[in-house]
Amino acid sequence: MEHLNLHDNEMPPPQQGGAQTPMQQMQPLGPGMLPPPSSQQLPPQMFTTAAQLLDLTDTNLVLQSTIERIFVAPSSANGPGLYADVNRGIFLVRGENVLLLGEIDLDKDDDEPPGYERADVETVHRLQKEQKAKDARREKIVKRRLGELGFEGENAGEALI
Amino acid sequence: MLFFSFFKTLVDHEVTVELKNDIQIKGTLKSVDQYLNIKLDDIQVVEELKYPHLSSVKNVFIRGSVVRYVHLPGGAVDTALLEDATRREAAQQAQKTK
Amino acid sequence: MSFFGFDSTLPRDRGHNTRAPGFSQAADPFAGPRPEDDDDALDFEDTYDGLGDQLDETDDVFNDDTFGDDAGPVTKKPVGKDFDFFGQTAKVSDAINEEQLRFSRQAPSSRGPPTTSTFPQPLPKPARTGYERYQEPDYVPDMQVDANLWGVAPKRPAQASDFGSPMNPGIPSGARKMMSLEEVEASMRAQAKKPAQPQQPIQQQQSAPQQYTQPPQQQYHDYPPQHQQQQFSQPQQLPFQSSGPPREEARPAHVGQPHQPVQIMQRSQPTPNQPIAPTAPSQPTQILQNPNRYSAEQRRSAPAVQHPVQHPVHQSRPSGSRHIITHPQQLANLSDEERAAFLMEDAKRAKRNHKIFLLSKDNGLMTPQDKNFITRIQLQQLVTATGNPNEHGSDPSLSEDFYYQVHNQIRGGPRQHPGQPLSNFAQTYLFQTGGRHGGMRRQARGGDNHMQRMEQQVQRAVEAAKNKPKNKQLVIEGSLGKISFSNAKTPKPLLNIKRTDSAADAHRPSKAHQVGVSGSDRKTVLTDIENVYSTLMQLEDHERLMPPPLDNDDINPELAGFHIDWREKEEKLNRKLWRDLKVHEPIGATTTHPFIAFLSFSKGKKCIPRVFRHITQEQRTTILTIIVIHLDQLDVVRQGLLQPGEVQLNSATRENIELFSLAVMHTLFGYLNEAGLDIVTGLLGLILNINIDVIARTRIGVSMLTMLLSRAELIKQAGSNEREWDQWVGIYNAFFDALEPTLPNIFPGTVNTGEDVYVWQFLAAIGIGASPEQQQRLVMAVKDRVMETVAHAKTLPTAMSGQRLANVNLFMRSIGLDVELLA
Repeated sequence: MEHLNLHDNEMPPPQQGGAQTPMQQMQPLGPGMLPPPSSQQLPPQMFTTAAQLLDLTDTNLVLQSTIERIFVAPSSANGPGLYADVNRGIFLVRGENVLLLGEIDLDKDDDEPPGYERADVETVHRLQKEQKAKDARREKIVKRRLGELGFEGENAGEALI
Repeated sequence: MLFFSFFKTLVDHEVTVELKNDIQIKGTLKSVDQYLNIKLDDIQVVEELKYPHLSSVKNVFIRGSVVRYVHLPGGAVDTALLEDATRREAAQQAQKTK
Repeated sequence: MSFFGFDSTLPRDRGHNTRAPGFSQAADPFAGPRPEDDDDALDFEDTYDGLGDQLDETDDVFNDDTFGDDAGPVTKKPVGKDFDFFGQTAKVSDAINEEQLRFSRQAPSSRGPPTTSTFPQPLPKPARTGYERYQEPDYVPDMQVDANLWGVAPKRPAQASDFGSPMNPGIPSGARKMMSLEEVEASMRAQAKKPAQPQQPIQQQQSAPQQYTQPPQQQYHDYPPQHQQQQFSQPQQLPFQSSGPPREEARPAHVGQPHQPVQIMQRSQPTPNQPIAPTAPSQPTQILQNPNRYSAEQRRSAPAVQHPVQHPVHQSRPSGSRHIITHPQQLANLSDEERAAFLMEDAKRAKRNHKIFLLSKDNGLMTPQDKNFITRIQLQQLVTATGNPNEHGSDPSLSEDFYYQVHNQIRGGPRQHPGQPLSNFAQTYLFQTGGRHGGMRRQARGGDNHMQRMEQQVQRAVEAAKNKPKNKQLVIEGSLGKISFSNAKTPKPLLNIKRTDSAADAHRPSKAHQVGVSGSDRKTVLTDIENVYSTLMQLEDHERLMPPPLDNDDINPELAGFHIDWREKEEKLNRKLWRDLKVHEPIGATTTHPFIAFLSFSKGKKCIPRVFRHITQEQRTTILTIIVIHLDQLDVVRQGLLQPGEVQLNSATRENIELFSLAVMHTLFGYLNEAGLDIVTGLLGLILNINIDVIARTRIGVSMLTMLLSRAELIKQAGSNEREWDQWVGIYNAFFDALEPTLPNIFPGTVNTGEDVYVWQFLAAIGIGASPEQQQRLVMAVKDRVMETVAHAKTLPTAMSGQRLANVNLFMRSIGLDVELLA
């Protein structure tokens, strides 16, 4: 689940106004990504081909005041799922790594995720670590077994997990 | 362009987008672009207990490249037309490579 | 797709009228790249005389002295009652107190937001209402109920919000976001009466100047009530125009096109009162240069682009507030539970506002130029992706976007280009799908349709036949009871002996797994089918290029030439289609005739209706003949036989049969309805040469027979020539004899399954044409099933029972009987 971190962050400027069209992740939110247009109007040659546009705009994100929310899934051993928010500060994200962007519903945001309770960061972190270790052990076993059956390669265990 | 053309007809229909990290997001398709980036409104995650990450998110913009499947509303698809559109695309491509 | 054909130098990029002041402040992110707007912009810049630049705006402060205008726009002259379309409101408006409340509610909402950021932005959620307090350095967010927050305290009307809790006990909570027509009218009337109100001057002073500083765009987004009001009052502008500029100044952005000259004139006067230039910092140049442009733009862009974004905001507003509380007093009157709920609600709202405030500090991070830039990229990509909008409907864009465009035509989507020549395509698929309802439904529907038509035809035949004098003897109840097995079992095997029988049987085991086409053939057949489709599409494309019809009087040689060329091409394509169909391959050269193999694939079946649209009558006859000759070899017939012990066919086969019935039979039925008796007789004669036993036990076989028999009956009733009819009777008799041994076995499954409608139709079709003697034999052959069905019907609910009996009766009546006689 580690790929999901990005959209767990509360995005500081959620959805700038008129951005309805499908390129939100490319909004230059911070300085330094695009040379600030020196004149108000861009030279027309900047709008020639899509490829060129991509070069210009498939850029990166600067997120500030980010929060990473970490989860531990509910289990018979631990009871309900737990979550904790970790302040992460500034992130520089390469645009290509963005899976998705979401707008947070300010009302829903008050509620805890269904089936989850807030816990302190240390606890969640510890449990998450344990869970990961457990998963890793299991995966190792699965891989070994698959290997014995003749399945080789890096993807051997993936199908089962 | 066929996929783009196709997905455009599904705007305002409810679809389920399955990402390559196994999360399935159900929502109303609001827009799609030629990269097949997708915008969904009023989303709901399938198996929310397993994937609580989006519990307070109301709409998402999904990068097209991370989509594995889009589960379609059958009633909104005209298969005969789709078949022909596919033939046309194939014919076109064949012509281009000539 | 070529990007290069696109004119990337929008007029705005080509350089600007540098004299136009403040162009650099252009902030409307949607203003630039809209190609439709360019014309306006060009026109204006070409014609603009620069008078606006010469405005003398000094001494504006003396405006009031000059014009004696001490009031804001809201208390102008009486508005008049001609807008009062809502009669009831007139009465309500007399309630002065309520008016006052409404006014006080409406007035604050029309004030501009305190401009906190350096960039005026068209954001849906700017820092504006309810949470301004948070900006006070010493303010501690108070999550408790604070009535002041909701605007009750008179000292801070600025915080009264149209966003948070409503202020008036009398107004339903739904009215919070958008004023209804009545309310708008009421408030306008209230304004008209305002001079009578004591507190009003204060409010005027507050609201008037603030409205000026409000960027129009923002006004639109943030204050739907006001926007509505403005729109509503727009038609009123004309009367006011003549009364002088004061009214004008309140609504610079809404000046309609016809008033333009007037406004320019007004503007060129050195009126110190002109507030336009300083008013809207975000929109100044557009308004100055071309007022129409802005309003047009607003109209266009606002619903299209803005609303989707704004919509969720509305939705997510707390909706559960059942109690509208404006005063602590009211709170005391509530029950504990309600109060708790209210407090909770209120705290939530406050929290929410706080969040919005926290987020709002980042508002303006992107400058309007940034957004403009992004918007351009987005639109550019859109154009690149969807092609030049002017090209829609043209061939290149059509081939790129075929599915979408045709789909839109069929499903009644928004048609941007009503004239686009797509109707032929839409026709193709409409024809194919048999209606505007595509998807899964249409197959079932189409199938039903076909059955219905078939039933209607049989019914008509039965009705007509009933009018003939009947042999009364048969209408005896006892005749059903008289069973003579020897008679029913009289075998007439003359025509029943057929080599194809064993041949078909021999093939079946080896090919039963699939459609009767071996692996290597399979690929060939599939290729054939694709060839047919590609030719079909060429034909359909070609159809769209048909030149306009020739004028009879005036023969245009050029046009006539086009017609000749067009027809030549069409004939060529037709010949190609005919070759692709492989109908003329020699019969018997291969185990399965290529065309029959063709029909064993579902896409082969599906193309038949489309093929029939493009072939001649003669070619249609040929196709029908080929199908009839090979009827017992069709996959739907070979697989449509119930094996002993089977009650139902498997679902794949049933689906296959359904499709064949819908696509092929339906088409053939349509053709046969125009065919003459000679053809019908010939076709039935062909059937005598094949295994009737197999055919009569399958749904498709039976349908085909029903089709022929009922058609013959209808032709006869319409009057046919003697000789042809005698021929038909001869063939019919032979057919009856061949069919008779099979008759007891033609029903599928048991009585319970109830899927035997088509058999009853068939029997009815036989019955009408049968001689009395044949009718008797017919009755004896199926008597058991009749009795069983009638008995079974009694155990069913009325509706189902009625249906079953009606099915049986279709047959019974064809031979002059009725199920009621059995009861």
